[in-house]
Amino acid sequence: MKRSVSGLLLGAVCLLSGCGRAGKTLHVYTWADYIKPELVARFEAQQGCRVVIDTFDSNESMYAKLKAGATGYDIVFPSSYMVKIMHAQGMLQPLRPEWLPNLRHVDRDYLKLAMDPAMEHSVPYMLTYTGIACLKSKVAGFEPSWAMFERADLKSRMTMLNDMRETIGAALKFLGYSLNTVNDAELAAARDVVLRWKQNLAKFENEQYKTGLASGEFFLVHGYSGDIMQVKAENEDIVFALPREGYSISCDDMVILRQAREVELAHAFINFLHDPEVAAENTEFIQYLCPNAASYEKLSAEIRSNPSIFPPPEIRAKGEVIADLGADNAKYVKVWDEIKAGE
Amino acid sequence: MKRSRLPLVVLAAVLAFFYLPILVLVVNSFNAARFGGSWGGFSLIWYRRLLRQREIWQALENSLLIAVGATAVSAVVGTTAAIALHRYATRLQRLHYSLIYTPLVIPEILMGMSLLLFFVALGLELGRWTIFLAHVTFCISYVAMVVLARLQDFDFALIEAARDLGASAWVAARRVLLPLLAPGIVAGGLLAFTLSVDDFVVTFFVAGPGATTLPIRIYSMIKHGSPPLINALSTLLLAVTFAAVSVSQRLIKRSAS
Amino acid sequence: MKRRPWQRRRDEWLLTLPSLGWLLLLFVIPTALVFAMAFRPVDPYGGIGAGWTLATLRSLGNPNYPAIVWRTLWISAATTVFCVLLAVPAGYGMGRAPAAWRSRLLLLVIVPFWTSFLIRVFAWKLLLHPEGPIKRLLLFLRLTEPGAPLLYCSAAVLLVQVYTFLPFAILPLYAAAEKFDFSLLEAARDLGASRATAFRRVFLPGVRRGLLTAVLMVFIPSLGSYVIPDLVGGTTSEMLGNKIAQRTFVDRNLPHASGLSALLTLAVLAPLAAMWLLQRQRAPWLAKEGE
Repeated sequence: MKRSVSGLLLGAVCLLSGCGRAGKTLHVYTWADYIKPELVARFEAQQGCRVVIDTFDSNESMYAKLKAGATGYDIVFPSSYMVKIMHAQGMLQPLRPEWLPNLRHVDRDYLKLAMDPAMEHSVPYMLTYTGIACLKSKVAGFEPSWAMFERADLKSRMTMLNDMRETIGAALKFLGYSLNTVNDAELAAARDVVLRWKQNLAKFENEQYKTGLASGEFFLVHGYSGDIMQVKAENEDIVFALPREGYSISCDDMVILRQAREVELAHAFINFLHDPEVAAENTEFIQYLCPNAASYEKLSAEIRSNPSIFPPPEIRAKGEVIADLGADNAKYVKVWDEIKAGE
Repeated sequence: MKRSRLPLVVLAAVLAFFYLPILVLVVNSFNAARFGGSWGGFSLIWYRRLLRQREIWQALENSLLIAVGATAVSAVVGTTAAIALHRYATRLQRLHYSLIYTPLVIPEILMGMSLLLFFVALGLELGRWTIFLAHVTFCISYVAMVVLARLQDFDFALIEAARDLGASAWVAARRVLLPLLAPGIVAGGLLAFTLSVDDFVVTFFVAGPGATTLPIRIYSMIKHGSPPLINALSTLLLAVTFAAVSVSQRLIKRSAS
Repeated sequence: MKRRPWQRRRDEWLLTLPSLGWLLLLFVIPTALVFAMAFRPVDPYGGIGAGWTLATLRSLGNPNYPAIVWRTLWISAATTVFCVLLAVPAGYGMGRAPAAWRSRLLLLVIVPFWTSFLIRVFAWKLLLHPEGPIKRLLLFLRLTEPGAPLLYCSAAVLLVQVYTFLPFAILPLYAAAEKFDFSLLEAARDLGASRATAFRRVFLPGVRRGLLTAVLMVFIPSLGSYVIPDLVGGTTSEMLGNKIAQRTFVDRNLPHASGLSALLTLAVLAPLAAMWLLQRQRAPWLAKEGE
């Protein structure tokens, strides 16, 4: 028995140290369900490498993990405001344009809004809009407005995002303010609005709202456009709308970490994702919009005419990009605390 | 004198309560309908999809590797601890006992938080090793308690007798103590293995890239709602557990006879 | 050949060192670190700032916290009460069962525990789904209305907590019941006591240690519970564990999270210390003389 125990220990130690080393591996840290699996497989075949994808469900938890010392990731897909923070903290590597020829296809209109227009350390990946979705047959008189959360008849069948900037932002837009405001009076008013809406909510949820909606657990949810589009395929009854008072736009970008091991492979991955064919395929699959101008004409008519993916100009004007507020973030944290604690 | 039926009724109700959700999971794993509300016909489609999910099998592999390693180390350390606790009655052992007992009752979030801070302070890269270290830390206590319970009926005079007859400490331990302790060590080891494979909270705090374990994968699947896949996975796990338990039961019966 | 005292001491240290050393390094020191971190400032980008400050401790005086603490306490207490109420008769029934049945029952109780904890919580989400089986049964029995939610409320949290912690209550009670001499109950009945009185005044004190262990093993871990309120709780079911997790992973405020954890640790150690003081007389090794 002693020999088998020591054999077991030895085997365990060997396996734990990762004895298998075959070819290069690219470590990707991204949102869940955010890239078409076939495209990953295609990249692996083209490059003769392995791609390992870990997922996170919020920018903050990703940032906390990286700050706490999780090294080993090569590419990360943070939202733009988080890219600004990471860049300020020196966590990113400058990109090598000579390895990224496909960047010439990136939509110039979008870059005008972006925080890193020269794409020095980040490349835009997908545009996200946040809006509301509901089950047509269960919600009478659905209006594309944040006021839907006032509806007491939908009590405990609605959810809002568990994200302080998104939910407080929704209330701010409802009241006609900017969702990047740092004005205390406006924030207090938004807090009271959310507390009112909270009476009707089942919970604050970042991910399960989509299956909850599809399975009929929830009737009306606050969510991201692509997520809802993906789940629409499972339930025809779902309808997504961008509220008329305004909504938030965010862009998720690709960045390469300073301590990345596979730098060239990471660049190749970014370049691959901006190949117009690949970008179009990705957009079609995950139903968010990749701001790759050359890919637009390759998209199906269905996508091109979908107002949730290509909103008409008057709606697009109402969208606002979430910006990082530095030290003023603490104001939002305080308001969010009060919202979470209020009965 | 008539005995009250109440305890048996409660016991039966408790068991039914335990198995009800499990039954739901198993039944729904064969449900062709996507959402468990209605029965869509018998189907194995979710099992087929499950087999194709590479991330799940990767996570299972991580979980098993870590569990085997953690069980091996904690079995050894826990057994020595139990022997020390049982054999000696000094102040050192009192301190030792409180140190062994406390991790059993402390909320997992505290252990996760403290280990995260510790690893960050040391600059250790979060990954499989940090999970392994964390798991050993809480497994030691469980193994120690189980082996200690087994030691309660052991009389150290037997060891003294063996020593008096000329056996060295090692020989006495190996031929007298360990065989008697073996069932306890095995039981403790099984417990440690289960806890390690199933641990979520502590692992969540100390996991790093590429070191996703099965519970963490399940958590993200729950959040993402691939409900039928989870049903299929849990039914498979249950089947494996039942098989493992019945095999070990038979082994124990055979060694006892 | 009697062993010399220094040899005994050496043997004792050899046996104790592996576990003592490991736990000191990976349990005691990290816990002390948590307390130390509570005195550090937070830097706005989510790291731990330099220097020492009392500001973090002062920020624990957040007016929103008492409500959360209160909720955590009452849910944990309620979970403990329900678990004990169910575990005592269950443990009694198992202890009284014939020997062959006892191991089978033990297995039946433990096996669900072997399936993943997360999956069991998930199964409750299926069961308590607004269009799910339990809701339909309750509607059929006219015990509820179509709009009433079964999930995402404190009751759901309580139910799933009881489900999760019940085995931790049953096992120590069963262990105590197994060692209990049931003939004492017969004797009490012979002396004229009713079933209830015999149970109350003979059985319960007899399994006192098992009861205490059951209470501790349910109440204390429940105080730090956060997965269950996260998965089945609603907007007003937030517990202390959720706050700590939020501070760590969302707000990137490690010092504050450490402060909260330190408070929770103190709250947990207090009943443990009390139990120690009560149990000192009965500690097994102290019963041995002159080793």
